[in-house]
Amino acid sequence: MKQRLLIIEDNEQNLYMMRFLLEKKGFEVTGAETGKKGITEALKNKPRAILLDIQLPEMNGYEVAEELKKHKELCNIPIIAVTSYAMAGDRERILAAGATGYIEKPINPETFVSEINQYLLRE
Amino acid sequence: MLFIVFPTFYIIINTNKTGTAMKSISNENIKSDFYCFPYFYELLYNLRIKVRCNVNSRKLQNCRKNPFCLFFSILLLINTFHLPADINKKIVNIGIYENSPKVFISESGKPAGIFIDIIKYIAEKEGWELNFVSGTWGEGLDRLEKGEIDLMPDVAKTANREEIFSFHEIPVLSSWFQVYTKKGNKIQSILDLDGKRIAVLERSVQEESFNALAKGLELNVTILPLSDYKKCFDIVLSGEADAAITNRFYGLTHAGKSGLKDTAVIFNPTTLFFAASKYSDRTLLETIDKHLSALKKDTHSVYYTSLKQWISEESVSNFPQWLKLIFVLVLLLLLISLTGSVILKYQVNIRTEELSRNNEQMHIMEKTLRLTATKPEMQEILNNFLLGALKLTKIKSGTLYLTDYKTERLVKSASVNVPDDASFSCLHNLSEINSSSFMSKSFKNNSPYVDLSFQIIFPLAAHNQNIGALCLFSEKEIVFNQITVNLIKNLCATVAVTITNSRLYEEIRAHEKELEFEVARRTDELKTAMERAQDADRIKSAFLATMSHELRTPLNSIIGFTGIILQELPGPINEEQRKQMLMVQNSSRHLLALINDVLDISKIEAGELKLLITTFDVKTSIEKVVNMIMPQSEKKGLKLNIHIAGDVGISKTDQRRLEQVILNLLNNAVKFTEQGSISLSCSTLDSNYILSVADTGIGITHENLSSIFQPFHQIDSGLSRNHEGTGLGLSICMKLLDLMGGSITAESRPDEGSTFKITFPGIDGVKT
Repeated sequence: MKQRLLIIEDNEQNLYMMRFLLEKKGFEVTGAETGKKGITEALKNKPRAILLDIQLPEMNGYEVAEELKKHKELCNIPIIAVTSYAMAGDRERILAAGATGYIEKPINPETFVSEINQYLLRE
Repeated sequence: MLFIVFPTFYIIINTNKTGTAMKSISNENIKSDFYCFPYFYELLYNLRIKVRCNVNSRKLQNCRKNPFCLFFSILLLINTFHLPADINKKIVNIGIYENSPKVFISESGKPAGIFIDIIKYIAEKEGWELNFVSGTWGEGLDRLEKGEIDLMPDVAKTANREEIFSFHEIPVLSSWFQVYTKKGNKIQSILDLDGKRIAVLERSVQEESFNALAKGLELNVTILPLSDYKKCFDIVLSGEADAAITNRFYGLTHAGKSGLKDTAVIFNPTTLFFAASKYSDRTLLETIDKHLSALKKDTHSVYYTSLKQWISEESVSNFPQWLKLIFVLVLLLLLISLTGSVILKYQVNIRTEELSRNNEQMHIMEKTLRLTATKPEMQEILNNFLLGALKLTKIKSGTLYLTDYKTERLVKSASVNVPDDASFSCLHNLSEINSSSFMSKSFKNNSPYVDLSFQIIFPLAAHNQNIGALCLFSEKEIVFNQITVNLIKNLCATVAVTITNSRLYEEIRAHEKELEFEVARRTDELKTAMERAQDADRIKSAFLATMSHELRTPLNSIIGFTGIILQELPGPINEEQRKQMLMVQNSSRHLLALINDVLDISKIEAGELKLLITTFDVKTSIEKVVNMIMPQSEKKGLKLNIHIAGDVGISKTDQRRLEQVILNLLNNAVKFTEQGSISLSCSTLDSNYILSVADTGIGITHENLSSIFQPFHQIDSGLSRNHEGTGLGLSICMKLLDLMGGSITAESRPDEGSTFKITFPGIDGVKT
């Protein structure tokens, strides 16, 4: 059975690229452009993991992570932050908000899927 | 009552003891003879100085003008008219001879002496008229015996005489006999008279008793009887006799004057009486007794006055001229010194008053100076100064004007009790003073100016600059003494300096306030600027965050899709396509590196870059970075030598940033080396690690070596860009190492190669 992943990413190209890479490696990927849609989608489908962008419209990544952790059925789903935020404290901040992994943008297409796999295996 | 007439004026002194003298003078019709004494009557009287003067017509003329004189003249006239009223008076004939001071004819030819004074007094009282019959002692006795005269004065009562004369009972005087001789003759006792020639008064008691004495003592003496005492003394003086015997009355008064001296030989006390003729009225003697008895009881009676007067008269005349002169001189001196002392006392009083005034002024001065010097407030200084000046001068009103610095006009600055018109006229004067040549004269000399309306104006000058004027308004003309003027001048000078200082102080305070205001304003500005800067900083941070995201997001797609295509995930690509896609990948990676570097330097400079301190194995990190650079160096055919010392272990710092630095150094080494080798070595240095990267590349010139750590520096920038790079790498390395507590140095020789050495913390982290 294919593992289902949820990507919450507002940039269409990036979402497409990540979906492309992951689907090529046998993942089932759902995408959401906003945090709200992402939470709804997560509640509906219960993904294996959630790839979360930080800079999102309306609701930012930290808030989404906090919100996800509030739901009992979702709080155990690993959250992997994929972000171009590289300022000091960003990594700590998102980890504190509940993320289990952190991948810096721009992603390396050659190593991206293996990085995801490493986080999934860690669980 | 005695009239004492001063040569030009008169002085009257009431004394009843001299009353008789006046009367007796009147009796003898001596109307204009007065006993005149100078100013110090009492003194002279005691010294028995008699000054006689005749009141001439001129003096009388002067006298008449005076009511007192007139009054006493009238009294005198009454006396004179009264005297000859009794025509049927009893006439008493009295024998008179030379036996001064008892009986004698005075220089003016008048009878005088103690006996005469007494009998005159009695005659006056009894209404007798005295008729003096002069002659020698012997003649007198003869006349008395014959009854030609009634009385003979100064007769010693003897048994022989009582047979031929009558005597009253109370003795007038008692006396002794005394022997007088020439100075040099030594007669000390009566025995020394043996063989001497002795002069005596003929038919006198002395002759009689001495004869008896000489016989008794068996003295061989030659008695020389003479008609009067004067002759006795004369022959002793001429040497015809060796000694003379007289009564003591005569001897005491005349011996010294005649050049004789008294001896110790005194003998035979005698009592002296008036002797009356056997033929004369027996009541005469009784009357004399009656009066004598009364006179002797009263110490102020004519008896004692006369005695006093006559006995000492000769000593008075003996009073030496030089002594009188000295006396007068002493008197003059006394007067002068008295006057002097009075004047002195007056001057001392004046001076004392002056001193106490000065003292008071000094006190005021001191107080004013203290009050003006200790008060920082200008108005207080001015008020205290004005009040002090008014107290000093004892003037009630005054005004203080100060020159305004800006307008140079005098401004009323303090005022006490000044009416408007005075103030106005003062201003008028001041304007004159300020404008006219007066200014250059007295005003500039710090002298007061006094005008007709009693204004006194003192200039105020400090540091040779006129700063104002003190005007005092007096209701009347005032003359200050020099001390007061000097005091006020000093006060003005001192206070002027104080005022100047106070003004400076106020100016300083104004400046201070200005400064404070300015500082507050600047602080506000800075605060605003800081707020703005903080805002800018926030904006910058936000911008950096945005840029970081917005620049990387599209790059993310480019790099990502390029990588996907090159992996041929969407499908196979031909060689040309692969070649071009690799170019896209290189360019986009370069762009990413640029963006990362710019963001890094911006973050460091904004203080946004925070280190993430962890402990990690240095060797692992080095190997990781070497693996990253390996493909490039191998591609260029460069030999990569790695030497890590055995003791290199754990470091405590930001692993990612350290790896960034090492990668940067290795990247540079590969970039600038065309052939040869790159050597990396790492060892421990104290508690730190030291890592060096050496290459055999193009090297750096000496002058460029110092600037390679500056941002945006690439040595061959501008010309041929053989080497890609932002020029930020080394700058970032240095800044990161700084943050980590490490350092970086570079050595290089052009065309030979460069060596970069870094130090970074060991297991204990940064030593603080």
